[in-house]
Amino acid sequence: MQQIVNGLFLGSIYALFALGYTLVFGVLHQLNLAHQAVFMLGAFAGWVLAVSLGWPLWAAGVGAVAVGALLGLLIERIAFAPLRNRPDAHFAGLISSIALGIILVAVGLGVFGPDTQRFPPEAFPGLRFSVAGASVSLLQIVILVVAVALMLGLNWLVVSTRLGRALRAVAENERAARILGVDVERVTMATYMLSSALGAAAGMMFALAFNTIRVEMGLAVELKGLAVIIVGGLGSLPGAMVGGLILGLAEVFSIVWIGSGWRDAVAFSLLFAILFIRPQGLFGRIRVREV
Amino acid sequence: MSAEPAGAARHAAALAVEDLHVAYGQIEAVRGVSLAVPSGALVALIGANGAGKSTTLAAVSGLVRCRGRVRLDADDITRWRSSKRVAAGLVQVPEGREILATLTVEENLQLGAWHQVEHLDEGLGEVFARFPVLADRRKLAAGTLSGGEQQMLAIARALLARPRVLLLDEPSMGLAPQIVDEVFAIIERIRASGTTVLLVEQNAHRALSAADYAYVMETGEIVLEGAADELLSNPRVVEAYLGESLGG
Repeated sequence: MQQIVNGLFLGSIYALFALGYTLVFGVLHQLNLAHQAVFMLGAFAGWVLAVSLGWPLWAAGVGAVAVGALLGLLIERIAFAPLRNRPDAHFAGLISSIALGIILVAVGLGVFGPDTQRFPPEAFPGLRFSVAGASVSLLQIVILVVAVALMLGLNWLVVSTRLGRALRAVAENERAARILGVDVERVTMATYMLSSALGAAAGMMFALAFNTIRVEMGLAVELKGLAVIIVGGLGSLPGAMVGGLILGLAEVFSIVWIGSGWRDAVAFSLLFAILFIRPQGLFGRIRVREV
Repeated sequence: MSAEPAGAARHAAALAVEDLHVAYGQIEAVRGVSLAVPSGALVALIGANGAGKSTTLAAVSGLVRCRGRVRLDADDITRWRSSKRVAAGLVQVPEGREILATLTVEENLQLGAWHQVEHLDEGLGEVFARFPVLADRRKLAAGTLSGGEQQMLAIARALLARPRVLLLDEPSMGLAPQIVDEVFAIIERIRASGTTVLLVEQNAHRALSAADYAYVMETGEIVLEGAADELLSNPRVVEAYLGESLGG
């Protein structure tokens, strides 16, 4: 029971992070590899706001999400928008987003240094609960609730709002959306802002959960996030959510049953096995790409 | 360009295109097209497949880069984004309908009213009254509609944008003859309600029968223009575009 709670907790953070990737991929067919830098800078933004400026944790979290949204706008404008009219725009954007990600990590290193930063212990509420035999801290509960709320919120936004309709229209047929008068440039910016806000929220939660904030923290989750969206089905929002939870549970149980050194090997083997059985991913459809 | 009548029309034009050029890479698909659609008129642009008709409309809607000038009433809109053109009332029903198949019928219509949110409910009411089949199927994925129903949806969606100038690209394409009749009856009604229409069609006979004035396009250029009923009996048009449909 304890391990299930821990796994869901870790998995919900992976899911949030992966949602950012899959949102951009699903709507715009672009892969934003600067997303890992957003994860890291979101964590640092929350830390600066909470520790240096003394904001309460919830306000620092909101601030980190806002910083993430701004970073998303920056990434879209710098790494993707200038390449939009190239015939190889998706691949070119992939490469330039890798470059921008490296630059942002370097900036993080320059500003915050190579050392691991931590929240002071008094920043956390020390409350612990016992739920069905598992010991759960208030912080874990809050993180889990916020993560689930963000996922439900995103789902509501995509299904039920005007912006969500525009996102789905652009995802299906950008030209048709343009003909209907949808401002595709603004929808593109909104997609990156939403995606990066989720990435920064995931970074902030990861930082709180493990109380470590390092410049390399984004690189550690980058591959996991990509694996999650491939297993979930590229561009599928529920796929990213379920995929993230599976990865979190797999990691926790492989630590318990086999040993922490085997964590990534076991988790990725499981993801490989899923793809072997369902090559299109859990929620993916085999689509014919129109030319 | 035959001087006086076209020049006069151009003066009061709701939509005017001047010396339009569009190139795809090295290939110039539209080469110096000029045309004018007077306010309230139904003007047809006919020609063979690949003549550059759809590319001309794409440029008018701001979907491709072009040289030349596009004017909507008094405004030079050549540099406007497509969304701003739609907001200003220049609305296109694209070739092949471009229905959003995974969205519901209602969501397609809501997207049509993107710039007319305050008129959405009123517009939906009008559209459902005019196209009852869409009201019946409003919650279904638009991809499940038949070809004729999808064309109705494409037109209804454009009407929700409250067009001043409606661009129709091949609305009869791929439809059974009685559905084509229905589509043209709808176009007549749209025009009767005061909306200016520019109609692109391969079906020259239908287009010329409905239109006031028409342009004939070949390999990227306007080669002929005139009153639609005159073109219907013009030997060159009859030979190139009407021979088969009149059946001799």
